[in-house]
Amino acid sequence: MLCEGIGGEKEAEAAGKMAAVEEEEEMGSSCSWRMRGVAVVLLRGLLLCALVAGSGWCNSVERKIYIPLNRTASCVRLMNATHQIGCQSSMNGDTGVIHVVEKPEDVQWVLTDGPHPPYIVLLDGELFTRDLMDQLKESSRISGVAVAIAKPSPVKGFSPASKCPNDGFGVYSSDYGPQYAHCNNMEWNPLGNGLFYEDFSFPIFLLQDENETEVIKQCYQTYNLPRNGSVPQYPLCAMQLFSHMHAVTSTVTCMRRTSLQSTFSINPEVICDPLSDYNVWSTLKPVNVSTKLNSTEKVVMVATRIDSHSMFWNVAPGAESAVASFVTHLAAAEAIHKAPNVQSLPKNIMFTFFQGESFDYIGSSRMAYDMQKNKFPIRLENIEYFLELSQLAPTNPSVFWMHTDPLSQRNLSDQINTMLVALKNSTAGTGVEVREISSSQALPPSSFQRFLRLKEIPGVVLADHNTSFQNKYYQSIYDTSENILLNYPEWLSPEEALDHVTETAKSLAEVATVVARALYQLAGGSGSTTAIQADPKTVTRMLYGFLVRTNNSWFQSIIKADLKGILENEPPPYYIAVSKPVNATYLVHYVLANLTGTVANLTKENCLSSDGDLYEYAWVQGPQDPNSTSSRLPFCVRSAVHLSSAISPAFELREWGSTQYSTWTESRWKELHARIFLVASKQLEIITLIVGIVILIISFIATYFINAKADVLFATPQDSGAVAY
Amino acid sequence: MGAAVFFGCTFIAFGPALALCLLTVAGDPLRVIVLVAGAFFWLVSLLLASLIWFISVQLSDRDNGQLQYGLLLFGAAVSVLLQEAFRFAYFKLLKKADEGLVALSEDGRPPISIKQMAYVSGLSFGIISGVFSVINILADSIGPGTVGIHGDSPHYFITSAFLTMAVVFLHTFWGTIFFDACEKGRYGTLGLVVASHLLTSGLTFLNPCYEASLIPLFLLTVSTGAWAFFTAGGSLHSILACLPCKKEESDSVMVYSTLRRPAED
Amino acid sequence: MNLDRVSNEEKLNLCRKYYLGGFALLPFLWLVNVFWFFREAFLVPAYTEQLQIKRYVQRSAVGLLFWVIVLTTWISIYQTHRAQWGEMGDYLSFTIPLGTP
Repeated sequence: MLCEGIGGEKEAEAAGKMAAVEEEEEMGSSCSWRMRGVAVVLLRGLLLCALVAGSGWCNSVERKIYIPLNRTASCVRLMNATHQIGCQSSMNGDTGVIHVVEKPEDVQWVLTDGPHPPYIVLLDGELFTRDLMDQLKESSRISGVAVAIAKPSPVKGFSPASKCPNDGFGVYSSDYGPQYAHCNNMEWNPLGNGLFYEDFSFPIFLLQDENETEVIKQCYQTYNLPRNGSVPQYPLCAMQLFSHMHAVTSTVTCMRRTSLQSTFSINPEVICDPLSDYNVWSTLKPVNVSTKLNSTEKVVMVATRIDSHSMFWNVAPGAESAVASFVTHLAAAEAIHKAPNVQSLPKNIMFTFFQGESFDYIGSSRMAYDMQKNKFPIRLENIEYFLELSQLAPTNPSVFWMHTDPLSQRNLSDQINTMLVALKNSTAGTGVEVREISSSQALPPSSFQRFLRLKEIPGVVLADHNTSFQNKYYQSIYDTSENILLNYPEWLSPEEALDHVTETAKSLAEVATVVARALYQLAGGSGSTTAIQADPKTVTRMLYGFLVRTNNSWFQSIIKADLKGILENEPPPYYIAVSKPVNATYLVHYVLANLTGTVANLTKENCLSSDGDLYEYAWVQGPQDPNSTSSRLPFCVRSAVHLSSAISPAFELREWGSTQYSTWTESRWKELHARIFLVASKQLEIITLIVGIVILIISFIATYFINAKADVLFATPQDSGAVAY
Repeated sequence: MGAAVFFGCTFIAFGPALALCLLTVAGDPLRVIVLVAGAFFWLVSLLLASLIWFISVQLSDRDNGQLQYGLLLFGAAVSVLLQEAFRFAYFKLLKKADEGLVALSEDGRPPISIKQMAYVSGLSFGIISGVFSVINILADSIGPGTVGIHGDSPHYFITSAFLTMAVVFLHTFWGTIFFDACEKGRYGTLGLVVASHLLTSGLTFLNPCYEASLIPLFLLTVSTGAWAFFTAGGSLHSILACLPCKKEESDSVMVYSTLRRPAED
Repeated sequence: MNLDRVSNEEKLNLCRKYYLGGFALLPFLWLVNVFWFFREAFLVPAYTEQLQIKRYVQRSAVGLLFWVIVLTTWISIYQTHRAQWGEMGDYLSFTIPLGTP
C-alpha cells in the first residue's frame, strides 16, 4: 500500500510539471490584446522567458497577473516594555487601489473623493511627513502606504526618530539633574517627527528602486488616473503588501507568550526576539579576559556607537549618526598603536564600539552592567576617563564641541578639565578646533550616560554640534554618504575610489589625530605628540568600505575566508537586528583587528588553534597573490580585539517590563513582500459566477431529461428494448 | 471576491462534465472503472509527450526564441498524436476486457457495450485533459489580481474556462467516433478525428486572440457533436420522436447518444 | 450497531451505560445517547423497557443542554475577553493566534 501511495505521488508530481507544457499548448500566451504603455516591453521579456524556461520555475499564470517588487523594505513591528511600534498587514496581505500622491492636495482623493477604497498610497518621499501620515492614519480608506525614496534627500531634513532620543534611559531623571530630564533643557533632535515610534495599522513599504517606482506610476497613469473629472473605470491598478507581524502589544506580552509556547507547546513558536548583537572592544595593552583587572590599573575608555536605524527594516545607512564617528575612532586607535613606546604608557586605553545604542543604549547598558557585576575583565573602578565620539560629520570650519555633564562638574571638575585641556592641546598643527559648551547644558544622548548612571566618571562627549544635532537626517534613510559630503569623481573605478582621499576623509583624519593625541596624554604619555598622526588613507578606505561598498580589495584581504559572503557591492545596514553578529559588527571587528593587531608568524593550523586570554587570532584571506589571479596570500592576525554580548540586561534578568534597561524586541514574520497587479470590477466577477451557475444548472437539467428520454432518442426500431441502462 | 471568479470558471469548465459524471457514470461501477482507467491512459500519454518536449528543449539552443516556439508547436503535435495512440491502445484493451465480460455474463451479453465504453472513455480523456489545462489558471483566479497588467486580455479566465469546456466535449465526441471507426475499420474516419484534434490544438496557438480561436473551436465542437450523434445511432427521426420532452441541448444530446446501443447491422 | 437487531433488554442496558458514562464529564456520550435512542424512546411502538429508555434519554438531554449552555457561555466569554485578561488570558490559552492582542 505504502509503495503504491508513493508511486502515485511521484506520478502526480511528474504530471504537474507536464501541465506546464500542456497549458502552454491549450492556452497559449502570445499576441497582445490590449497593449498599453509599459506593458509592451515587459510582456516581450516575460514571454520569451515563458517560452524558454517552459516547465522550469514559477507558474506562468501568476507571472501574467503579478509584478513582484523586488527592491523594497518594510516597516516592521518592534516592541518595548509598554508599546508596540511599526506596521503590520493582515495575514494575507493588504490590497488597495494605487493612488500616487505627489502634491499635498492629491491626498484628498484617497481620503474622501475616490470611489474605490481602500487605497494604497504611493507617497513621494518629500511628502512622507508626520502631518500627512497622521491624516492617513485617521482614515479607514487606507490599506497601505508605499514611500518612494526622495532623490535628492529632502532639503528641510527628515528624521523619524523622536525629538529627545533615548529619553528616560540616559542619566538624567528625577533623581539626577531633574532640570535636564526629558530634554527639558535642550531638544537634541528638533527635526525628529517621531514617526518611527508610531503604531500603524497598515503596512508601509519603502521603494528603493526608482525603476520599480516608475513601473508603478506608469500602471497608475494607465489605469487609475481620473481623466477630466470622470471616475476611472475597472480594471484598476492595485498593490498588495505583505508584512504580517506575529507579536503584539509589548515586549512583556510577546516574551511571555514565547516562553509559554516553548514550555508547553508541542510546536514551540518564537514570536519575538530581543534586539541584540555584540559590542566590539579592544585595549592598547592586552588584558586577560579570564581574570579581572587589578583595581590600581587605570583605563581610559573611548567609545562610539556602531548602529543606527530608520523606519524600515534593515535600512540603516547611519553615515553621520554612526559611521563617521566610529571610523574616526578606528583611525585614532590605529594612530595610537603606531605611536612609539605606547606599550609603556602608565594607563591602558580601551576602544569600545557599542551596538544597539539607538534602541535605549543596549550595548553600553550591558557593558556597564557587566562591569558593575564583575562579569567583565575591566571594572567601573578602573575607568579613569571616558571619551565618547558622538556624531562627527566634517564641518566648515572644522569646529567640534566638547560636551560635559554639568552635574559632574561639582566633584570632578579637575579631571574633566584635564580632559578638556588635553583635547585642546592636541589640536595644535591640525585644522581642527575644539570648544567647550556652556556649563549649564546637559549631555547629548550618549553611551557615556549609562556609565554615569552607575558611577561618577569624568567624561567628555565630542560631537559636531553645539546645541541641537547638526544632522538633518538623524536615524533616517537619508543619513547616507551624501549626508557627510562623501563624493567620488565619477570616472574612478571601484579600486581607485577605495584609495581616493576625499575631503571628508582628510577632515575626519584630523579629528582622529586630535583624539589620538588627547588619549595619549590622558593615558599618561609625556612625550611629544606630534608623531601621532591618523592616516587619511586609512580613513578614506574605511569610509569607502563602510559607506559605499564593502566588497573592496581591502575588506576582502582582512576578513576570514568563511566570511567573504558578507561583502556586497553596497554598504551594510547598521541596524542591530536579532541575528548575531550582524555584518557591520564583523566588519568593525576585522578592521579594528587589522589596524591595531600584528601579523603573527604562524601556520594556518597553529593560528586557528591558538587562542589566548590576551589575544585573539584570526586567519584572514590576505591580499590577492600578484603572481596569480585566483589565489590569495592568507596570514594570521594577532590582536587584542574581543566581542562582548550586547543584549539588554532586561532579558538577562527576565525583567521584560524594565524601565531601567532597554526592552526592545522585534516581532517575527513570515514574509515581507509587495506586488502590483490589476483588479477586475465586481460586476465582471459576478457575471462570471452567474454564467458558471447557469451552465451548471442547464447541464444538469439537460442531462437529466436526455437520460430519461435516451431510449427514444437513440433507439432504432430493431433494438428498442435493448437499452443497457 | 476572487472566489466568484473561481467558482464561475470551475462551473463553466466542468459543469457539463460534472453533470454527465454524476448522472450517467457514477451509478455504474463498470463505467467508473472505465473512466478512471481512461484518465490514467491519458496521463501516461502526457508523460511521454512532455518527456519528448523536455528532452528536445534541453538539446536545442535555448536562446533561440523562434526555435523554441517551433519546438512548442512540435511538442503539442506530438502530444496530440500520442493521445490518439493511447486512445487506440485503450480501445484494444477495452475490447479484450469486453470479451472477458461476455464470457462471464450469464446471458451472453456484455454488461457494458463498446458504445458506452467509447462514451465513458472519451469523457475521461476530456475531464483529465481539461483538469490539466485549467487547474493552474483556476488556482490563480482566486485573486486578488486579475490578468492584464502586461496587456493581456482581462477575459483570460472566462475564455480559458470555455476553452476547457469545449475540450471536454470534443474529447467525448472524439471518443465515440474513434471507437466506432476502430470497430468498423474505417481508417479515413480515424484520420479525420486525429486531424480535428490537431486542428483544435493548433487553434489554441492563436490565443490570446480569442475571437480567432474560440469561435472556430465551438463550431468544430458542434459539428463534431453532430457527427458523434449520428455515429451513436441518433437521427433526425429520433429527435422528432423525442420532441415532447422539449429538450434539444445539442451538445449534451450527442453525448447521450453514445450511451445507446447502435443498430445491430 | 443496528438497534433493530438488538434485544430490548440489551437496548436498555446500552442506553443506561451511555447515560451513566456521561457523568464522567463526557457530555458527548449524552449527545450520542439522545440521537441514537430517540427513535426507540419516542417513536417506536411501546414495549416494556421503553419507559426506562425514555427516562434515560430525557435525562441525557437535560445533561446535554446543561453542558451546551455552560460551554457556550464560557467560550463566548473567553473569545471576547481573552485579550483584556492579558497575562491570565495567555495562561488559559493553549494556542495563541499570531498577530492579535
